[in-house]
Amino acid sequence: MTLVKPIQGPGGKTDSIEAIQAGFEELGYITNPQIATSIYLAQNLEKPLLVEGPPGVGKTELAIATSKYLGLPLVRLQCYEGLDESKALYEWKYGKQLLYTQILRETLGEVLQGARGLSESMKRLHQFSDVFFSEQFLEERPLMKAMRAPAGAVLLIDELDKADQEFESFLLELLSEYQISIPEIGTIKATIKPIVFLTSNNTRELSDALKRRCLHLYIPFPDTALERRIIAARVPDISVKLRNELVAFIQELRGLDLKKLPAVSETIDWARTLLLLHANTLDADMVRTTLNVILKFQDDIEAVGAQLTTLTNEALKAAERPPGLK
Amino acid sequence: MDQTLGDFIKALRNADVRVSSTEVVDAHQVIDLVGYSSRSMLKNALALVLPKTADEKAIYDYTFDRFFKFDELDEMDMADKNQAAGEAGRDPEAGENAGQEGGGQGEGGGGGGQNNMAEAGAGGEGAPGSEDTHEQGEMRERLSALSQMVLSGDRAGLSVAMAEAGEAVGLRNIFIFTQKGLYSRRILEHMGLKALNNDITDLRKRDNANAHELAERLRKGREYLLSQVRDYVEQQFLLHADVDGSHLREDILSKSRLTNIERRDYRMVQEMVRKMAKRLIAIHSRRRKVYDRGALDIRKTMAKNHAYDGVPFDIRWKSVKIDRPKVVAICDVSGSVAKVAHFMLMFLYSLNEVMPKVRSFAFSARMGEVTDLFKDSDVETAMSKTLAEWGQGSTDYGRSLQDFAELALNDIDSRTTVIMLGDARSNYGDPGSEIMKKIYDRSKWVMWLNPEEKNTWNYADSVMRKFQPYCHQVQVCNSLTHLERIVSMVLRSSA
Repeated sequence: MTLVKPIQGPGGKTDSIEAIQAGFEELGYITNPQIATSIYLAQNLEKPLLVEGPPGVGKTELAIATSKYLGLPLVRLQCYEGLDESKALYEWKYGKQLLYTQILRETLGEVLQGARGLSESMKRLHQFSDVFFSEQFLEERPLMKAMRAPAGAVLLIDELDKADQEFESFLLELLSEYQISIPEIGTIKATIKPIVFLTSNNTRELSDALKRRCLHLYIPFPDTALERRIIAARVPDISVKLRNELVAFIQELRGLDLKKLPAVSETIDWARTLLLLHANTLDADMVRTTLNVILKFQDDIEAVGAQLTTLTNEALKAAERPPGLK
Repeated sequence: MDQTLGDFIKALRNADVRVSSTEVVDAHQVIDLVGYSSRSMLKNALALVLPKTADEKAIYDYTFDRFFKFDELDEMDMADKNQAAGEAGRDPEAGENAGQEGGGQGEGGGGGGQNNMAEAGAGGEGAPGSEDTHEQGEMRERLSALSQMVLSGDRAGLSVAMAEAGEAVGLRNIFIFTQKGLYSRRILEHMGLKALNNDITDLRKRDNANAHELAERLRKGREYLLSQVRDYVEQQFLLHADVDGSHLREDILSKSRLTNIERRDYRMVQEMVRKMAKRLIAIHSRRRKVYDRGALDIRKTMAKNHAYDGVPFDIRWKSVKIDRPKVVAICDVSGSVAKVAHFMLMFLYSLNEVMPKVRSFAFSARMGEVTDLFKDSDVETAMSKTLAEWGQGSTDYGRSLQDFAELALNDIDSRTTVIMLGDARSNYGDPGSEIMKKIYDRSKWVMWLNPEEKNTWNYADSVMRKFQPYCHQVQVCNSLTHLERIVSMVLRSSA
């Protein structure tokens, strides 16, 4: 791969795809070229990045790693059904506003003192600054916070598919123009465009309009070689032998017909568990007792339990082969 | 605009990847950024911009690999050469003397490592050493450009000439497989095949062994050229054309009358119907209504109550209600409408998959509910079971509506949309329009879909006029386009 011309990123770092890959690796997030390219493009094209893939492959982690890598604050918005702009964008400080009206009423006499007639009173009232809907009473929510972050920010809109379709449409303005409209105040433009990550688990199809505005990254389950590197980075104390064995086992599980396939996060948990139990090598009994770490449904545990010995043996064999060979 | 990128995007669109114009702009920006220098980087980068689902990514990978194939003519491998040499030996025209055959084969074997096309093209020559004799050299100079290229094995030159010819004859406009021959011929003509043919004829006419040999080499080369052009056209066809004609067929199918669609097209129609249902549901299913319960909307309440001196007098609520349409579908499955019923059932089935509140009924002589059947079995079984169970006997609207009244009349309320599919041919029996009136009074919307054209309504035993007053809407429905338009209407009105 050739080196791409260095470009000043929002975090003030000059970046090439290789630099991104290396930098992320330092932070313990192992990327493949595809993922690194996506970060590079998201930075340079200033486009939001929509990350899809099965749960547990590190979609959210990617945003977190990016914020660390660029040294920018991470602003996270967790989506759920019924999320609306008052929770995502801004809210008025109602309590303060109420107090303000009370104070206003009390001071009204002073303001209007000496005014003759209704029209003059109105004139004076108009001179009185209108602060009721102003910045002072504005409560920032994540989206606004990310837009107004002085040095830029990494904005993570997590599990967008869980939010309603209306919220998705509401995001469109933000995603394409990096600006938001507040009816009472006006349009607020981002000082420095934040790097936006959207994640989705595909519980529903996101709209085309949204997809059009985003770069689209699909992170599948990692292959053997990549998963080995991930485990090595995240659980550095584990022996090479055990690591290869457990990765091989997980890779085999993913070939089975299960309700929920084990993802990278489960592999990492499992590696930690085995390390804690001082295991040196994978054996059927050890796997059986720790199976609930990687499989989250009783049906799955029973299905795998029945063929555990075979699977373990095959994993042991597969661990010795270099990755990529079947 | 970058022609290569444009062609690639066209190829992608052809392969059913949806690429919008904003994405095209993005793709250009990406190329400005990463350039064409690294293939893998280009692939990774464009993969982020153009395909937007996991399925599309797979198609993208495949198309990219094919489109940006290393653009050179196939190397003739050793086996081919040996074969060529062998053939030459058997060919009476070429095998002028038997002694040359062995030499030819030996040479084929020796030259295999170099994989030089000149040798391969000259396989038939079989002469020891592929150098031209002096006389041949002179002859060659008088030949056409194409012939010279073929003889010297200028693979890159041929490749370029082929691409240029392809461009000139507008190969990228190829859209159906029957055009492959036409385009191959045009490309060859453009490359100067005629001159090459003339060269061959001229050389053969001469009474000269060298000339004959050269003609033979040209003939071999021409064959090779033909096969390469065919491959090239094939490859371009796969990229640029509607490969299996699916777009064309979909278009035709969606407009043709449902009764005319052949059994073999059912699968495709089924897929189309499913797509259609999904699209419609996506548009219409999640309509929301403001609901007077839930969380207090402080902003609206305050704004509203300014007039009352800030005393929260008129209270506003925040919550909204997702309103999903409730649909009752009744389908005539008797012989007269069986073919249309098939599609209607198919569509009902698809609706069932994506919409929670559809109740389906089928009738001919009697009526029965098929909702559960639709829920539990796959589309084929569901349909054949429905037809077997309820499709027997002659249509009796009166009796069937009576059954319906017992089964589901109480379930019909002001949120229900009723879709009735039938030709309203009651075999001169009682149409049961009084029950239709009840349904009409209770429901939100009643729609009657009649597969017959309007001018046959009320003719013979059709009693459309008796039902018509009790329907909000009456429609002719006999093609998928009709069906889609109508169902879209249903979903809109029932929301």
